[in-house]
Amino acid sequence: MAATARMRGGIGADGPFWDALENGEFRIARCRNCHTWMMPAHFRCGTCGSWEIGWEEVAPKGVVYAWTRNHMVSDVLKERRGDLPYVTVLVELPHAGGVRVPGMLVGDPPDLACGMPVNGTIHPAEERSRGYATMVWEAAA
Amino acid sequence: MSGFRGATAVVGIGATPYYKRGTSPDPEMKLALRAIVAAAEDAGIDPSDIDGFVSYGSERNTGQKLMPALGTKSMRFAGLSWTHGGGIPAAVGLAAMAIHSGQAEIVAVYRAMAEGSNQRLQVAVTQDDTPAQFLANGIDMVLQRSAMRTQRMIEVDGVPASTLEAIAAAAYHHAQNNPGAAGHGTPLTHEKYAGSRFISEPYHLYDCSRENDGAACVILVSAERARTLGQKPAYLLSCPMGASARQGSREDNHEPYTSVGMIELAERMWAESGYGPEDVDVAQIYENFTGMAVGSIIDHGFCTAATAGDFICLDNLVAPNGGLPINTSGGNIADGFIHGMGLVLEAVRQIRGTSTNQVPGAKLSMMAGGPGDSCTSTCLFGSEETLTR
Repeated sequence: MAATARMRGGIGADGPFWDALENGEFRIARCRNCHTWMMPAHFRCGTCGSWEIGWEEVAPKGVVYAWTRNHMVSDVLKERRGDLPYVTVLVELPHAGGVRVPGMLVGDPPDLACGMPVNGTIHPAEERSRGYATMVWEAAA
Repeated sequence: MSGFRGATAVVGIGATPYYKRGTSPDPEMKLALRAIVAAAEDAGIDPSDIDGFVSYGSERNTGQKLMPALGTKSMRFAGLSWTHGGGIPAAVGLAAMAIHSGQAEIVAVYRAMAEGSNQRLQVAVTQDDTPAQFLANGIDMVLQRSAMRTQRMIEVDGVPASTLEAIAAAAYHHAQNNPGAAGHGTPLTHEKYAGSRFISEPYHLYDCSRENDGAACVILVSAERARTLGQKPAYLLSCPMGASARQGSREDNHEPYTSVGMIELAERMWAESGYGPEDVDVAQIYENFTGMAVGSIIDHGFCTAATAGDFICLDNLVAPNGGLPINTSGGNIADGFIHGMGLVLEAVRQIRGTSTNQVPGAKLSMMAGGPGDSCTSTCLFGSEETLTR
């Protein structure tokens, strides 16, 4: 596990997701028994009942499922104020059963729209990412 | 239809003034007490006879803390419903279930907020709840996730962006007749709306709810008892809470994505109440953001994505003559925001005939909880004559 203390909140079964990013890998949870992809990761597969959850490496390629351009953030995200305006996206991963992951999109492409193909690169942990390594997305060339 | 239908009613409503956030002269607990006592006086009930206390969200003023000041004789039921704004009708439902099952007789449902005693609502309600997946990526629990959902609703589902402005415009239109509304005296023109800054696209400033200091309360009793009290009862016809199979806490992997989680709830409400969307006279639609209220109206079956542009327009959303007048006090956007609790009071006023934007002869009055909450709820109030159908 990473040295950074994990924040509270959410389901909390996604530790291996963050550990993988720190190791330079993009891994998504998948049931070892019925092979259902899971996002968010959980403690038990609600589809088949298995407790065996694996973490499969996935190519960081997807499409924009939804997006917003942020012009203001609340105190909850005050460490991002210096980045405004910035774009956040929900990226659909066709290679992982179509699960969707939230992320930041750099470059702010003029043709930004739902369905736009994107590629991701891993950014190291920093204060504004709350000490987590993150997958950051940009328009596919 | 269920045996629960019409078994209880709201007989008292009470609220403090809505103060600009951070400016309440009273601490949060005193606000809660003032609203509860006001609701009891409105009902003609001694505050010390209240024996049940229910709230939702991050409410900290528990029944046990309020008991000494209220002179409570016996607290027999207390509870907090999940989760945030989604828990408002559910809190009313918990109160009704406690009464219907004989656990309590007079139950207060309330919410109090004062930033000086607590903190910004968005911090208070989300700090232990927002997944790292969002916060690490610059995404707030509510604002940005709602904005993304609305963006796809517009871009992919084809709901016109004009529907967002219509929600805000209806709220400000009604606020002009409500002297207590925060937006009273400041009409919202198209130019003002369109010229306001973006917060998170597609949301302009005026697409976002206010946040106020204040408290609001309603008191429920059995239908039998309600008929012995002074106010015209607002009977609770149905009050479903929950989340369907593909919803719940799925971190935006819920389906359908652009739904606000109320499709199944609405189906249950129409089945339980015996009424449908075409029968509703007036609705209070919780709007944290206008686009989410649009989703709520669609989920409830008032219109579809294809017909939303025609249905969700200013003329159709305003009292007295619109097809579905909404947020007739001004709503969270233009009346004031005590975590949405004020919408319940306004739904009751419409049954009583005392709204500042009264829908003539309103008999069926709906209140929808927080759209997009991972567990949410909705409810339908009716007048005496709606019980016999």
